[in-house]
Amino acid sequence: MSFVGGKELRIVGFLCNWCSYGGADTAGVSRFKQPTDLRIIRVPCSGRVDPLFVVKAFISGADGVLVSGCHPRDCHYSDGNFYARRRLEMLKRFLPFVGIDARRFHYTWVSASEGQRWQQTVTDFTKVIHELGPTPLLPQNKTLPKEARA
Amino acid sequence: MNLEKLKEIVRTVLPSVDVVVGYKKGFDALHPVPCFLTSPEEIDALVLNPACVHNLAAYLPSLKNKAAVVVKGCDSRTVVQLAQEGLIKRENVVVIGVPCQGTVSVRKVLSAINHQPVIGASFENDTLVVKTKKGETRLALHDVLSDKCLTCRYPTPVLSDHLAGEQIEPKTAGKEAYQDIRDFDARSLEERRAYWLKEFDRCIRCYACRNACPLCVCRESCIAETRDPHWMSQRATQNEKMMFHMIHAIHLAGRCTECGECERACPMGIPVAKLKKKINMEMKELFGYEPGISMDDKPPMYTFKVEEEKIEEHKIR
Amino acid sequence: MKKARYLKKQKEKEFIAALGAKARVYAPCLEDEAVLFKPAEPDSTICLSRPAVSSPKSVIYPQSETLFSFRFKKDAEDKRRTLVELDDTIEVPDTIIFGARPCDARGIAIIDRAFSKTDTPDPYYLARREKTTIVTLTCPEPSSGCFCTWVGCGPAETSNSDVMMTEVEDGYLMEALTEKGEALLESPILEDGTPYEAQAREAQKAAHERMVKEAGETDTTPVDPETFDSQAFWEKAAERCLGCGACTYLCPTCYCFNITDETVVDKGERIRSWDACMFHHFTLEASGHNPRAAKALRLKNRIGHKFLYYGEKYDGIIACSGCGRCIRGCPVSMEISTIASALKKNSGTVSGEQ
Repeated sequence: MSFVGGKELRIVGFLCNWCSYGGADTAGVSRFKQPTDLRIIRVPCSGRVDPLFVVKAFISGADGVLVSGCHPRDCHYSDGNFYARRRLEMLKRFLPFVGIDARRFHYTWVSASEGQRWQQTVTDFTKVIHELGPTPLLPQNKTLPKEARA
Repeated sequence: MNLEKLKEIVRTVLPSVDVVVGYKKGFDALHPVPCFLTSPEEIDALVLNPACVHNLAAYLPSLKNKAAVVVKGCDSRTVVQLAQEGLIKRENVVVIGVPCQGTVSVRKVLSAINHQPVIGASFENDTLVVKTKKGETRLALHDVLSDKCLTCRYPTPVLSDHLAGEQIEPKTAGKEAYQDIRDFDARSLEERRAYWLKEFDRCIRCYACRNACPLCVCRESCIAETRDPHWMSQRATQNEKMMFHMIHAIHLAGRCTECGECERACPMGIPVAKLKKKINMEMKELFGYEPGISMDDKPPMYTFKVEEEKIEEHKIR
Repeated sequence: MKKARYLKKQKEKEFIAALGAKARVYAPCLEDEAVLFKPAEPDSTICLSRPAVSSPKSVIYPQSETLFSFRFKKDAEDKRRTLVELDDTIEVPDTIIFGARPCDARGIAIIDRAFSKTDTPDPYYLARREKTTIVTLTCPEPSSGCFCTWVGCGPAETSNSDVMMTEVEDGYLMEALTEKGEALLESPILEDGTPYEAQAREAQKAAHERMVKEAGETDTTPVDPETFDSQAFWEKAAERCLGCGACTYLCPTCYCFNITDETVVDKGERIRSWDACMFHHFTLEASGHNPRAAKALRLKNRIGHKFLYYGEKYDGIIACSGCGRCIRGCPVSMEISTIASALKKNSGTVSGEQ
């Protein structure tokens, strides 16, 4: 169910298949309640996440982007998340330079057993995005359905 | 800049390489152009002066066999970076270094002479003398230097097989290289967003910045033009242009040697080099890394540390 | 004989504002250091003292344009069928290009031919063209790289314009060349121009002579076929080219385009956008084969199109207006004039730049 007043914002999540997606699954199986603004895209590893995906999401009108992977040292592919950490840290520092609030982008590490932690992450992040409001970066792509714009 | 010494070096180097990349005269005295020498008769056409702005190292990856290239300090960093990444083989390149005190920004000169056509120009020590139909204008070189030269830390090439001149100490040693970036970051989010949306409004997606960049490697797979996957719309809107420039800068994270060619190549005068400089500043802070200094370095995005000293886990609140 | 009118310099902004009440006015506006054709706003700084960085062709032929939008819907009667709804209404407002140069007007004429002198004239282009009035300014001075007289144009060339503006004492002489131009000049802000006509003629003649001195008279020497087909010639000419699209996009006469369908789920638009033959993948085929992958071949095509192929199709006209924008805007200062000149002389190599 939606968190604030019925209006949903659009948050895109890139979750690594092994840990984070599993963690989200655990949260679901345990029936933990979370806001439904987050739309998940499953990737094999957080190291697969190209900053291109995050930028494309923001440019297309996403209000927030969340990336989650295995904890460093526990990557299913040994070192994918080490690269991701560097890349995403660089991206987080770069976004405000072009006027995108850094708080709209968050990257974290959630393992497959951390259902509770996943619920907390999603709830907190959605709250922050609602506080920040809809993205000021208006998509100029006219074919996006009108309903999608908050 | 010692043209005679350069010609001497080229004369000795030419027999052992297939081509020497240098500068020759262009359509006016402020626009020398890259030239590709293959025979000794062409050596006298070489020029060397503060208007020689092009980063000739950009041509190296596309030259097939052994090549010699004339590089200034900033350009030499490109050679190092290209070698670091395996885009060129060090053995195939003869680096002719030219210590440089700065290159002129044609935009600044044109602005100072009210955009008159230039009939002639000459460099006398610290002065640029520009001749137009309306007469002569003497400009202090320091006033018309490219912005990148004002904070240059490497006036002497970091790598060279031959050096056409005496080593130069950086004048700006100690001065903060990224002050303009810090100042920009101090502005509000809305101001920064409005600034870039305004600048990108006049971008025409000609990709001069991309093609002039020596380290841009995506080539035919550039996301700006691929159809499968279709990353960017063909619509000429600010959002699409912003996306292109952001991705271009991100692709250069930890690799950009700040040669400034992207900004110089832009026909619309958009300050695109700022984006790359910002990321470079973060690379320096996070990983203590500067691109194009040492051949044995590894670009920070290509490697990792299990414990990252400067990266802290972010809390949502 | 259409009566000439006179616009006082101080009344320039007022006149543009008055024009703006009935139409969209594009004028060369100063933005930082660049002069660009933009819609004239009350706070715009109009700059007529030097040519704009890019040509105003984007007013009639925008960089990206939606040809039509479409929507897929299931047939209510037969769910197995999908119907397509198309919306191709063309709506263009009245537009005025104020302060174009003769090279810009010539460029538009060159593009006109390609889009109208065919069995299938382009309705999108023509709709805009019909609604656009072009006010051209005589160029008093050649800019660096200009060579318009060499290709059959000139700083006081009036063909393809609706109104000719010439700088005279304290203002501009405005001469209507077409009916559209006459309608535009019916304004109480303008005065009678007859006292300034002689001055204007002098200015136009002087401007033309200055340009001829700089670039020479029209050169009708044909392109030498042997030089044109020489691989070595083109490899040398293209050696420093970066393969970007700056020259093409700044050019007043270039008009190649790309068509893309951009769909999101069930709705989409067909978009036409500028393309450049200098891009590496311009001739990339679906099979993966690319007949013009090499820079030399792409340069040969671009210059060949302007100085040879276009003329073969359209009465010997050179598809270049000599504006020099490609030379000024090119990051490595490629000179189309020098290359074209070398092609005609049968010298076998690109002659050294002056």
